[in-house]
Parts: sequence; structure tokens; C-alpha cells
Amino acid sequence: MKFAYYPGCSARSTCAELNEATHLVANRLGLDLVQLDSATCTGARELRAIDPPGFYALNVRILALAERQGLPLMTICNTCTLNLLDAHAAFVSDPELAESVNAKLADEKLRYSGRTKISHFLWVLHEEIGEQQLLRQVVKPLNGLTVAAFYGCHITRPPGRYGFVDSRNNRALERLAEILGCRPIDYSGRTECCGFHTAAHDERVAIKLTGQHVLSAKAAGAATMVTPCPLCHTVLDSFQPEMEKDVDRKLDMPVLHLPQLVGLALGLTPEQLKIDRHMVPAGVLDGYAAAASNVPR
Amino acid sequence: MAISRDTLTAVAFAVDGRRIGQAEQHDTLAERNLRFKPGDVLAVKVRRSEVPAGSDIYQAFEVPYQKWMRVLDALNWIAENAAADLAFRWFCGSKMCGTCAVRMNGREVLACWEAVEPDMIIEPLRNLPVIRDLVVDRTRYEEKVASLEPWIERREPYGAFPEPLTHKQMKDASKALDCISCMCCYSACPVIGLGNLTDFAGPAPLVQLGQTALDPRNSPEKVRRSLEQSGIFNCVSCYKCEEVCPASIPIVSRIIEPLKAKAAQLVPEMAINSFALREVVASRGRVDPTELVLRVQGLRSLRNPRRIWRLLTRGKINPIRTLLRLKTAAAAAASHLLRDGTGKS
Repeated sequence: MKFAYYPGCSARSTCAELNEATHLVANRLGLDLVQLDSATCTGARELRAIDPPGFYALNVRILALAERQGLPLMTICNTCTLNLLDAHAAFVSDPELAESVNAKLADEKLRYSGRTKISHFLWVLHEEIGEQQLLRQVVKPLNGLTVAAFYGCHITRPPGRYGFVDSRNNRALERLAEILGCRPIDYSGRTECCGFHTAAHDERVAIKLTGQHVLSAKAAGAATMVTPCPLCHTVLDSFQPEMEKDVDRKLDMPVLHLPQLVGLALGLTPEQLKIDRHMVPAGVLDGYAAAASNVPR
Repeated sequence: MAISRDTLTAVAFAVDGRRIGQAEQHDTLAERNLRFKPGDVLAVKVRRSEVPAGSDIYQAFEVPYQKWMRVLDALNWIAENAAADLAFRWFCGSKMCGTCAVRMNGREVLACWEAVEPDMIIEPLRNLPVIRDLVVDRTRYEEKVASLEPWIERREPYGAFPEPLTHKQMKDASKALDCISCMCCYSACPVIGLGNLTDFAGPAPLVQLGQTALDPRNSPEKVRRSLEQSGIFNCVSCYKCEEVCPASIPIVSRIIEPLKAKAAQLVPEMAINSFALREVVASRGRVDPTELVLRVQGLRSLRNPRRIWRLLTRGKINPIRTLLRLKTAAAAAASHLLRDGTGKS
């Protein structure tokens, strides 16, 4: 299975370990990822508000790059996924917009016709790999590892994009955790916001919000959290000392990128998956990796 | 809840990965309506504000199901048959007046427009003081709306009569006009939930503002004055407001973002963070978080040396790349598309 691969900015800077883990896991799963070298940022949340023409141009260009290769597009960041989905939806419903964007892309001899399928790695696992295939490839089931799934906003909302009456009913991550042998736990922060998008100018919001989510995961007995979004990861992991100060409690909650959790169950080691690059050490996983390696295949 | 690995093999393939959980959690209107049969009894718990010492603040009721029962019907049944002193507001019963919003199982709903669930916990809205039981005090919201002066001022003479005004010019303002001021979004907003931590006006007041600020006939001077006190760039873009809006207003994408665009144009100093991001992308192709934080926070970004050390030792930041402003392979395209050939973004 071949995908045009769009990691986004975060996975190529602060969360470089996510990019590396995705490549390793994709390799194990037989996914062929084609890097789009000249792909730009999708504009985060800022561009879509203050510069819509620029926002559409950047996103449609990425879609056009994938379309030129004739490949579906795979993302690993929630916000990028929603930006691309929104730009695609606007492009196919507004011929005037479509024409003006294509005129800008013409200098590069690019043209989008609205055919690129956009999918996040989480959905690729469920839709393209499938549960049966995943179960077959799990060589080190993470038996009983209690996992708190942290979805983030832009893979569950807005309702018009994903169709849930109540985004809390989304169970894609828990289902996946079960396939990997984990025990997903229920807690109040599952589909809440990490506050990343205002953290550059005021990180107090992010710290206050996520402190409660991590506390709730901890109280529910989670040994680790897992998230499909590098932006959520940045807040949950890098800001944890500040959260601890704010809630006046030790949290020590490791946070894994989705491909890292999958990778562990597929037999990759925490070192290979660069879990040691995180701020909060994931010592709890060493036990699992060691114990699991004794399990005969 | 947990699926064993043995039974998993028997579970059919999930075809649509983005909707996993929807069917099993009855997450469609039809599913939720068709779960009951006549004779069913609903287990309803209502949060009361005054209870005798020692009793639960959530009072439990058993409510007989009636066909097409709404949350409001359940509340009315309780008031008529079990607790005459239960306080809740409602008026029109048909999604117009916006007075009956409550939280049902942790989600903001209009009592008159929401199907009942087999087990329901009903609570008052959050982020507003409770007067009694399910009745909240809306003063905080009303004062905020008034302070934003959500009306139209015109200094220029009319262009023509009748005045030309297209659907396209009014497309966002007309979405805002669907608002029934039910406060669902205000209750769901996590930033409002943090109290006075920021000066964010909140989704409901911003929708009220959008009705006139996004109207092309309004004077830019008037819109500027309102936006200056909106704190709008503190919105975290979580879409919680859109999710609960009974009027289906796309609050983030059609109200808050267009208002941010107005602010960027009329009060550029409010949007310096957004301009900084655009400048980083336009010059380097992708976001370098270190450069963005330095541009936005300036020297303030250096006040936490322990975090900087943490980030450095784990390779999370790369000062060399930032100081040399190394371009990515995407820089040329980004500069072309964001700078419009003018060389400036």
C-alpha cells in the first residue's frame, strides 16, 4: 500500500521521534510512504483565519502534489488533517475558489482536480491495514498495559466533518489499543482540548487544561497516555513539570505517539522508537518490552 | 467494555475508521430514538441546589418512557409527579427561545430538542452561576454582550437605494443570526471554564458580535472598538462550541475565524502572533517552533531556563537551525504563495 506522506512541521522539529517511529512502523506494516519534499506547512490555525487565500493555496498545493503522484495522502497530525480536509471541502464546493487557487499553482505546473483522499495514520490502521492484519502482526501484545487515549480536537470535531453527535463516542483509539493487547481506560479528558493553539502566546491555558486531563487519566489508573497528534503530545509531555506545579501533584505520566504504541506491539524497542526523546521517561514500558520479549511468537 | 483478543478476530472490519464507536454508542439521532419501547423506565438523576443534609445532591427519579420523549418531557413529568419544587426554565418548547439548555450526561443540550437516554444525569449549564437547580444566572453573558456593543453604526451615506447587498457579503453574519442565545457553547467552552485567566469573551458573545461585526454595512471604526475587547485570539479552536450548538452554527469557522480576519485587518496588533507564524512559514516553508516562540514571546521566552535545558538535551529544539534560519525545501513555494509576488507577507 502506497501513500503520499505528510508529516507536518511538528514531526519534523520538536516531535522528530514521531516521524522516525512512523517510518519504522509503516515499514513493518508494509506501507510505502512517499515523502513530499516541497510540501509546506498547512498554516496551523492562524493562516485559515487571517489569510484564507494563503491557507487554501498551501493546502490545495499539498493535495495537488499527492494527486500528481496518484496517491492517497497520509497525515500524522490532527490539525494538518483538518486543515487539508477543510481546504479540500472548500475547493470542491466553490468553483471560483478552485479556479483562483489553481491559477496560483499553475506557475509550478500543478493543478488540483479534487481527487486526493486524505487519511490520518489512525484511520489507515483501521481502514487499510485492518484489524485482522494488525492482530496477525502483533508479536508483543502489550498485555494489560493501561492506556489513556487522548484524541485531541481536530480528529473528532467539528461535528460536520466527522459526523459524531457527541465526539466522546469516538472509540477508534481505544479499539486500536485493544488490538495491541492494552487495556484502554475511560477518563474525562479523552476528547478534550490540550490548548496548544494559544500556547505560543499564553501557555497558562494549556497548562491549566491539560493538568486536569492528565490528573483524570492518572486517577483512572492509566500507565501511559497515547495521542495521534504531535501538538497534543508537545503540551502533554513538554509542559508536564509546569502542570505538576499547577495541580500541586506529581504526575509522571508518559505520553506516547500513536505509532510508538503500535511499534512496541509490533516488536520494535523503545530505543528504536525514540521514546527516550520524551520529557517524561516511560520506565513503565521497559518492563513491558522485557516481559513481552519472553513471549514466544 | 473491553474486547478480548479472541472475540476481536470475530469482529467485522470497521470500514470507516473515522466513525468507529458511532454505532455501538448509538451516536445518531435515529439510533437514539429507536432504543426504547413503551413501558420502559428511564433512570434520571437531576442535580439539585438545595438538599437536606446528608442526602445526595443528585436526586434520582424513575420516569416512564413516552413515545418520542424529550429531556423536557422528562423534566415536566418529574415536576408534575415527583418534585414540584424542581426549578428549570423553558418557554417555547420548539428550539426558538433558547431558555431550556441543560447538561445531559455531560453534554450541553436543549431540553426541548433532545431525545431522552435510558440513563440520564441532568445538570445546570457550566460557567454561569446557578440560581436554583437547573436555572442559571445569565447576567455575566448579557453584560459581556452589551460591552461589545453589538449593533451597526454607519457614518457613510448609503451607496444606493435599495442598497446593494449580496448573499455572499452576508454569508457569515447570517449564520450568526441563527443564534438563539441558549448558552450551550458558553457552557462547553474550556477557555471560559478557566474563569478570568484570559480576557476571552467566549463563543456566545462573539456570535452576538458576529451578527453585526460581520455585516459589511457596519463602520470599521465601530467593529474595531468591539474587537479590541473581545480577547478573540485566546480561542483554542477546540470546536466544543460547534459540537453543542443546537442551531448548528459553525461557530469557529464561520464566526470566530472571520472575526479574527477582521481583527487582523482593523487591529493588527491583536494578530501579531498570527502574522509571526505566516512570516516564519513564508520565509522558511515550515514552522520552526523555536523561531515562532522567539518572535511571539521575545525575551520572555528565555525566562524558564530549566525548560530550555530540558528541550535542548532531548533534541527537541535546534538553535543552530533557528539562528541560521535554515530554509526547508518548501520555502520557495511558501514564499510564492504567501507573499503574492510582492516580497512582503
